[in-house]
Amino acid sequence: MNKRRINIAVLEPSPIIFEGLSNIFSKSGTYLKLYRIDILNEIENLPHIEKLDAVIINPAQIQNKIKDFNVIKRNNPDTYWIALVYSFFDNQILSHFDKTIGITDSMEFINELINKLGNSDSEIHAAEQEHLTDREIDVLKLIVKGMSNKEIGDALNISIHTVISHRKNISQKTGIKSQSGLTIYAITNKIILLEDYTN
Amino acid sequence: MYQTKRNYILPGMKVSEIILENPSLLLLLEHFELNFPFHDKTIIDLCSENNISIDVFISFANLYNGFSPAGNFSFAKEDIYSIILYLKNSHNYYENEKYPEIKNYIEQLYQVNSLPEIKLIGKFFDEYFEEVKEHLAYENKVVFPYFYKLLGKQQTETGGTAFSVKEYRDHHSDIEFKLNDLRELLLKHIPVKNDRVLRRKIITSLFEVEYDLNIHSTIEETILIPLISKLEKSLIE
Repeated sequence: MNKRRINIAVLEPSPIIFEGLSNIFSKSGTYLKLYRIDILNEIENLPHIEKLDAVIINPAQIQNKIKDFNVIKRNNPDTYWIALVYSFFDNQILSHFDKTIGITDSMEFINELINKLGNSDSEIHAAEQEHLTDREIDVLKLIVKGMSNKEIGDALNISIHTVISHRKNISQKTGIKSQSGLTIYAITNKIILLEDYTN
Repeated sequence: MYQTKRNYILPGMKVSEIILENPSLLLLLEHFELNFPFHDKTIIDLCSENNISIDVFISFANLYNGFSPAGNFSFAKEDIYSIILYLKNSHNYYENEKYPEIKNYIEQLYQVNSLPEIKLIGKFFDEYFEEVKEHLAYENKVVFPYFYKLLGKQQTETGGTAFSVKEYRDHHSDIEFKLNDLRELLLKHIPVKNDRVLRRKIITSLFEVEYDLNIHSTIEETILIPLISKLEKSLIE
C-alpha cells in the first residue's frame, strides 16, 4: 500500500515564499497536496479533504487573531501547526505552534519534517504491509457474505467499533472499499472459494 | 494523468497553446462544444464567439491543470448556463463513450484471460454502470431542469420530485470509489495472462474517466451547489 497522501494548507502572503516551499515539498518524496489559503478561516472550508495534516502559517497572519487561531486549532485537533518564520517574532506567538520552519532551514530539515507527518499515524504505517491478519480475514469472509457490521460483530463476538476498525484496515491494505470489490479480492487471493460465492 | 507543474491559465492565452501543454483540455473544449480549428484564437475570442462564460472557462480549465479551487468563486447567475452545458456534455462522454469503451475492453479481457475473477469484474462493472446511468439520468431529469426553472425566476412549487443536495453528494462518492476498486483490482491483484496490453488500455481508460469525473464532482459540489443555494436564497427574499 502506498503511503497516504498528506494534505497541507499554507497561509503565506508572499507568492515567492509559497512557490519556493511547494518546490521543496515536491522533492520530499512524500505524496502531498498543498492548499494555498488567504485567510485563516478558509481552513474550515477546504473541499474534499479527509484529514488536514498540517497548516503552515506565517505568524504575522495570526498576530491579532490569536483567539480565532486557538478556536480553529481546537476544531482541528489532529492537525500539526507549523510557523514559517522569516522575520523576528515574539516567542509568545511562536509558542502557539507545534513546530517552526525558518527561512534559512535546509531542504533536508524541511523534508524530514514533512516525511515524519506521513509516517506519524502508526495505524497507517502498519497498513503498509499488504497482508491481512487472521482476524481481518475472518471479517472479510463475513463482509463477502453481505453481513452488516452488527451481524459480523455478533458472529465473531467483537464490538461494532472493532468491526469498523477491521474494515478500515482491510480497505487500506487492499485499496478496495466496496463489498463486491472485496469479494473479487477474496476470490483471487483464495480467501473464499468461487463455489462458496456462487452458492 | 496528473501533472503537477502546469501553468495557471489566463484569458489572454492562446487556445492551441494551452492544449499543447495539457492535451486533456481537449475534453474541456468538447464539453463546452467549442470547435476546431482554433487558429490563433485566445480564450477570450473563442468564448465570446460561442457565448461561453469566460470566468467559468478559466476556472474549469485550471481544475484540469491541477489547481484546486481556491477561495470563493463569484459567478453570475447567467454563468449557470455554461456550467450546465459542460456538465451535460460530460455526462454524454461518460455514458456513450468512456463506459462502453471500458465495458468492451473487459469483455475482450475475458476472451484472453478467462479467469472467474475477470467474469466477476465484468459483472461488477455492469452493475456499476447501471448505477452511474441512474445517477446521470437523475441529474438530467431532476437536477438540471430544477436549475433551469430557478433561472426562469419561477418559484418552484412544493412537492413533486424534490432535489436533495445530500442525495446528490452520496451518489458521487459511490461512483468514485467503485471506479477506484476496479482500478486497484486490475492493477494490484488479478493475475495476468496474455492480457498485458489490454489491461494497460483498461487502466488508462479508467484513469481518464476518473480524471474527468473528479473535476466533474468538484464543479458540482464546490461551484454549482453553492451557486444554486445563493440563487434560491435571492428568490425567497
